[in-house]
Amino acid sequence: MDRSEVEQRVVKVTCKVLGVDPEMVEPESHFVFDLGAESTQSIELVAAFEEEFGIEMDEDAALAVDTVGGAVDFIGALVE
Amino acid sequence: MTDSSLKGTGASAGSGPRPSTPARHRLDGLFCPESIAVAGVVPTPGTVPYDIFYNILASGYRGTVYPVAPGKRSICAVRAYRYVVDIPDEVEQAVIVFPANVVERALKQCGEKGVKSVIVISAGFREVGPKGAERELKLKEICQEYGIAMVGPNCLGLINTDPNVQLNASFARKMPDHGRIAFLSQSGALCTAVLDYAREKGIGFSKFVSFGNKAGVTEIELFEYLHQDPQTDVILLYLEELRDGRALIEMARRVTRGEGAKPILAIKSGRTPQGADAASSHTGSLAGEDAICDAVFEEAGIIRVNSIEELFNSAIMYAYQPLPQGDRLAIVTNAGGPGVMATDAAVRLGLTIPRFDSTTTERLRKALPAAANMKNPVDVIGDARADRYTAALGAVLDDPNVDQALVILTPQSMTDIESIARGICAIHRETAKPIACSFMGAADVQPGIDLLQQARIPHYILPEWACAAMTDVQRMRQWRRQSLDEVERVPVDETAARAIIDAAPPGYLPEDQALAVLEAYGLPVPRYKLCRTADEAVAFAEEIGYPVVLRVVSPQVVHKSEVKGVTLNLTKADSVLGAFERMLRQLRELAPEAELHGMLVRPMIPDGYEVILGAERDPVFGPTLMFGLGGIYVSLFKDVTFGLAPISRATASRMVRRVTAYRLLEGARGGPAADVASIEESLVRLGQLVADFQRITELDVNPLIALAADKGNAVADVRIRLSE
Repeated sequence: MDRSEVEQRVVKVTCKVLGVDPEMVEPESHFVFDLGAESTQSIELVAAFEEEFGIEMDEDAALAVDTVGGAVDFIGALVE
Repeated sequence: MTDSSLKGTGASAGSGPRPSTPARHRLDGLFCPESIAVAGVVPTPGTVPYDIFYNILASGYRGTVYPVAPGKRSICAVRAYRYVVDIPDEVEQAVIVFPANVVERALKQCGEKGVKSVIVISAGFREVGPKGAERELKLKEICQEYGIAMVGPNCLGLINTDPNVQLNASFARKMPDHGRIAFLSQSGALCTAVLDYAREKGIGFSKFVSFGNKAGVTEIELFEYLHQDPQTDVILLYLEELRDGRALIEMARRVTRGEGAKPILAIKSGRTPQGADAASSHTGSLAGEDAICDAVFEEAGIIRVNSIEELFNSAIMYAYQPLPQGDRLAIVTNAGGPGVMATDAAVRLGLTIPRFDSTTTERLRKALPAAANMKNPVDVIGDARADRYTAALGAVLDDPNVDQALVILTPQSMTDIESIARGICAIHRETAKPIACSFMGAADVQPGIDLLQQARIPHYILPEWACAAMTDVQRMRQWRRQSLDEVERVPVDETAARAIIDAAPPGYLPEDQALAVLEAYGLPVPRYKLCRTADEAVAFAEEIGYPVVLRVVSPQVVHKSEVKGVTLNLTKADSVLGAFERMLRQLRELAPEAELHGMLVRPMIPDGYEVILGAERDPVFGPTLMFGLGGIYVSLFKDVTFGLAPISRATASRMVRRVTAYRLLEGARGGPAADVASIEESLVRLGQLVADFQRITELDVNPLIALAADKGNAVADVRIRLSE
């Protein structure tokens, strides 16, 4: 899976879970500061990414990722 | 707050809050903001970010409020903004409720937006360790860069009950009633408990501030603000950590004395890591932050109390009643036992139970049955109804020997509790003297208590609590009357002391040098000489006269007793010779590595009281001084007092007189009185010494022998420790 596909699907999942418009989402967008994620939504995001990509992520490491671009890098490394 | 009150680009309920003072104070933006942005709001009720925003709306805030909630169109039907900088209007205050890791970004945006007042509710800063401390430091830097007054982080928020503002920027469950008491707390959790407690007691607040980690605004700045706040009469403080004792003293003195003086009552808990165990000197082991804090509060005029109950017991006495003209208390009771208990408590706490003048006694005799007690405490006896209570209370309050009154009631079958309460309220409206009540019991007396509370007459379940509250008020009255003199430099030979200290390596100064330093600062050091040989020692002993003392001087010997390094009461040359040789031999046996500088020879000091003067450099308070009587008084009873150096003569006098054993120095039990003035002089000089030399980390003059009155005193032993 190439990076652009990972990015596209990360943005899709982010918009769905956080209820934000796709145009708000940039690679440097911070889940909390820019996209308004609540603490419970961060956990929902991790679960939704796992389901979307059919992967399992270390929860602590995944929760430490705080930007959309960071999530793309993190997931990209797992799906390679 | 209803949706219909929303207008413009944020939610607004009126024409905007008006500051409590004509000129805009730096903290007005925190207490009376025209507009507030809540940064980090989420739409989930029951979360701190949502509840803070909701509470601002629900409190009926008179300004305009803007939710900053990325990705949300609105919160509570108020249009939301993605960032603070997106708000089209000016924003005076921001409340940041974002998680700790993005607070820095939110605060920076506040700075860019020109917001000058910020409350950071979020936790996860200094209180969680080094990473959090680093985050907190960044917040401080941003505040400095943009000139932001910041409350927090890690706090509950702030409440202003001023009807023109009505701001509850906190996550406390309910807005408290409007009142004349300001409450400042370093603990957020305690705030909610206090609010609940106060509500039940019918106590209102003017301002309520949880200041958390106090990375920005501290209690000192809040004191200054509340001093000029016309809606505040009393300031209450819960403090866990005191950082700048000197600044606190300076500000608290301004608040608690002079024109517009307001009392400050405080609970202080918690200790610094630099506790007593870490200190090696005698003074250090006794100091600890708590004892020094006592001294700081004493010097600052802050009344230190031990519990929330005591805090409010005293606060309502200050806030609701006039200051009494003196300490004379009249008690009116319908029960002998509680009357006696109250009398005991009053006397024990330092109040006076005066005799009534003849006019009062006559009035009481006419109004009360023969079986009643017409003396103080007045017992109107068990079957008393309102007429007896009002007649007795009116009479005692008219007495020129009475400054205040305490009314005690126990509910008996004929006691018309509410009528009695109404009668007290009527008298309260007419008198300029303070009244406190204790309606003892619970259910039956409650209607009467309610009436008293409505009339702002302090009520206490136990009469002893009333006495304690009245005593605290008395302490404040005395504090305001007490003279405070300035610290003045005394003439000393600073150059001589500096020559010794600057040349010395870190560690303990050899005794001869330590004595020379004290001498340079005018402390009473007996004649002494460091002698290299036995012959030299004998010659000096002959010169000063017998008996003399020999003391080993070696940089490696801190505790002379361990090497048998002191010999007292040598009365002739042969004894000096013998002692010199024996002590030299013992030193070589017991401490072969010790380098001997010589034997210090000085005269035996006549008998007197052994006192200890100490000093240490506290990491929080700087140079601190200690005074106490030696022997068991210091080691067993820890009967010592502290002061921040340098000290004035008045402070030295208070330090000496505050130790429990002071009466011994006055000549109790037939002993001679000591030269107290000379001890005070030594304390002042020692204070100047430790204030002048940063390198002195510990200093013990232990003992100083306090001789009989007018004979001065004499340094018998000294230890001075220097830092790098």
